[in-house]
Amino acid sequence: MVPQLGYFSLVIAMVLATMLAIFPLWGAKRGNVQLMNSAPTLALGAFFFTLLSYLALTYSFVVNDFTVSYVASHSNSLLPIRYRVTGVWGGHEGSFLLWVFIYSIWMAAVALRSKAIPLLIRARVLGVMGLVSLGFYLFILLMSNPFESLLPYFPVDGRDLNPLLQDFAMIIHPPLLYMGYVGLSVSFAFAIAALLTGKLDSTWAKWSRPWAVAAWVFLTLGITVGSWWAYYELGWGGWWFWDPVENASLMPWLITTALIHSFAVTEKRGIFKSWTVLLAITGFSLSLLGTFLVRSGIVVSVHAFASDPERGLFILGFLAVVIGASLTLYAIKATHMKSYVKYTMFSREVFLWGNNIILTVATLVVLLGTFLPMVHKELGLGSISIGSPFFSEIFGYLLVPFVALLGVTPLMRWKQNKLATLKKPVLIALGISIVVGFLMLTLTRSEVENMALLGVILAIWIMISTIQSVLAKKEVQQKGVAALSNMTGSEWAMVLGHMGFAVSIIGMVLTSSYGVEKDVRMHTGDTVVLAGYEFEFVQIKDITAENYTGHAAVVDVRYENEKVAHMVAEKRFYTVQRSAMTEAAVDAGITRDLFVALGEQFKDGSWALRVYHKPFIRWVWFGGLIIALGGLFAMGDKRYRAKRQSLIGRKENEIEQSDLVPEVQS
Amino acid sequence: MSTEKSENIKKLMFFLVPLAIFIVLVGFLLKALFSDPRTRESAAVDRILPQFALYDLMDDKKQWTQDDLVGEPFLLNVWGTWCITCDQELPYLTELRKQGVKIVGLYYDQEIDPDFGDTFDMQQLRIDVKDKLSRLGNPYQFNIFDNTRETLLDLGVTGAPETFLVDEKGVIRIHHLGDINPRVWEGKFAAKYAELKSASKNSDGGKL
Repeated sequence: MVPQLGYFSLVIAMVLATMLAIFPLWGAKRGNVQLMNSAPTLALGAFFFTLLSYLALTYSFVVNDFTVSYVASHSNSLLPIRYRVTGVWGGHEGSFLLWVFIYSIWMAAVALRSKAIPLLIRARVLGVMGLVSLGFYLFILLMSNPFESLLPYFPVDGRDLNPLLQDFAMIIHPPLLYMGYVGLSVSFAFAIAALLTGKLDSTWAKWSRPWAVAAWVFLTLGITVGSWWAYYELGWGGWWFWDPVENASLMPWLITTALIHSFAVTEKRGIFKSWTVLLAITGFSLSLLGTFLVRSGIVVSVHAFASDPERGLFILGFLAVVIGASLTLYAIKATHMKSYVKYTMFSREVFLWGNNIILTVATLVVLLGTFLPMVHKELGLGSISIGSPFFSEIFGYLLVPFVALLGVTPLMRWKQNKLATLKKPVLIALGISIVVGFLMLTLTRSEVENMALLGVILAIWIMISTIQSVLAKKEVQQKGVAALSNMTGSEWAMVLGHMGFAVSIIGMVLTSSYGVEKDVRMHTGDTVVLAGYEFEFVQIKDITAENYTGHAAVVDVRYENEKVAHMVAEKRFYTVQRSAMTEAAVDAGITRDLFVALGEQFKDGSWALRVYHKPFIRWVWFGGLIIALGGLFAMGDKRYRAKRQSLIGRKENEIEQSDLVPEVQS
Repeated sequence: MSTEKSENIKKLMFFLVPLAIFIVLVGFLLKALFSDPRTRESAAVDRILPQFALYDLMDDKKQWTQDDLVGEPFLLNVWGTWCITCDQELPYLTELRKQGVKIVGLYYDQEIDPDFGDTFDMQQLRIDVKDKLSRLGNPYQFNIFDNTRETLLDLGVTGAPETFLVDEKGVIRIHHLGDINPRVWEGKFAAKYAELKSASKNSDGGKL
């Protein structure tokens, strides 16, 4: 009964979405206020019924309702309750329901938080969101029904959740990423609504910007969690693998990073409008493209769902219609856009635009690298594979000009800047970063790798010039540090975002340049040296506990004859469950992670051990968190809200109504 | 007036560039949708089997290392009872075994974390395996149980089923993602297998 209700709710949600796609847009065209006013109610209705449907599927999972085909294939009566609740997004159909559900959350959020926006725009934004959601509802109802019934012949027990998904980080990783992917639809809808209205100005940028930032924060967190998971759980010892599906999440992130900066220019200066609109359209397009990649079976990846060309065809058709129509509309409208604002080559806006271009080039590189193997094959040129060496090299080249601009831009003024005023701070920052970077590496490392040196210098360059940009503010110069408390959310966002990026760069280059992984075969008493750390395999102990027996390898780690870590890596054999488990020992640190895992014993009595030394790896994720925190500050900027409220306790997608109150209105 | 018009057309052309890029992309995606992604080559090919020491799936006391496997060309088949596609290929693989192809199973199972209270029943797994193999056919000379999944990672396995053709020296020659059926075998494996087989016979009856 419940599954049927779930399906029925979804049908109602789709009917409401259809009305949402028609009435407000029609009303906007005819100037019918009543029709336009129906938009928020319809959006909330669609959200409500999608929520019911989502709850129905969750309920079916919790009570082990194996009459539902999807539950029977992705759950099991023995599955712990937490995995039953999260098993909802363990497969294609359910995860798409989560996708649709999250989409409806964003729709409802826009409906609730857009009261201050002119009715015409509000109706069009919600109408466009309804139009896009129509495709999602059709897809789930026609081609991926999660409530499909197995009645009258249903199994006694289910087939169990894909083992790979039974992990905590895997529980939070998909919803975070989906929040980001789907959230991009809001700035997309704003862009289309603005194109339809023909009014692309700084108020449009002001309304749309917090939504883009919100989606971007989720993307940042989702990507960071995914990267961390790959490290600790898969034990691959790395933080990024350039897997097609990872790339699919990186592309919208890069474009949205460009977008939120471009929004800043459009909002402050009223220029780059056509460019900002294009980025808003592209961001959402890339997230749709990612969906296509994952769900069509076009690529082989750990992330990919079972392939089904029919589904792929539907998504591709949907993609073609939505993106094709948007880009056509864009081409027509952008032709007639004009900017009257003057600026010179040597100005903040041009420099920001320069970095936008680099981010776009980076996105194109990822796009090419992801699709080129496929294109190559389709052209009949045979299979090629493009892996991390290609990406690492190109990203290395792009990083230098990108960071150079990133450092200077915050120091610059809008409109135009005199070269002379910049000369001093830039030379100081450059000098400090080269000297400090060089000293840091020569003092702490026996070998100075060029890549690492360059990366560290770039990171320090960012940090120094970010601090300089804060110090250069008039207020700070007059009142000193006390003025920091007067800094706006957007200013903090810039500082945190850039600092976080610098922290991540340090982690990335140091761990790539100096990280060592070794698979060794050791007898007790043997020592293996990794990056100056002596790992001594002291002894192997038999361990017995209540529910397992096994072996523990005791490894003492010495650095310059001083003991720095005592690690115990276990191999347990759970007697009742009769299963073996590896309990790796990780000695986590700010400057390095040490990692030891015990493998099997060989016939001659020696043991297989896997030993890693990963300098600064934690900085990669820590930087990601700082960047996301910066995004939260940007969302909380006073400019987007009338009354001040503490950031704490704010739900992620609950942007204050007043966030969207334009000052211009008054 | 006409200059403004031609100016506008020029601008339109410029703003149509994103659409043009998108249309080309859709064209390729459409084409790719109907071709098999699994024909792409893997990084494991031409590499030697990774080192391992793993227990037999059915016997805790029996341990296998990579040295136990080599000697003649064989198929290393990654599978699991939870994997639906694997069921499809078991009968055909059994057919191949009858034709004299050596097939070793690499059992792919979940990494269970007892700290989370996950329960895992090895006894039950063995019953399931026996049950499945007796129903659908048993193509395996023996099965290796990679409980830590480390060897699977070393091999670059992304899921099940996957099959490696390994030559008599232990070098991986083919890495196939997806099931083995008569079409795949004839098209991708048969010729290579025959070639390796005759090569290994020539070099001292398959012994190293």
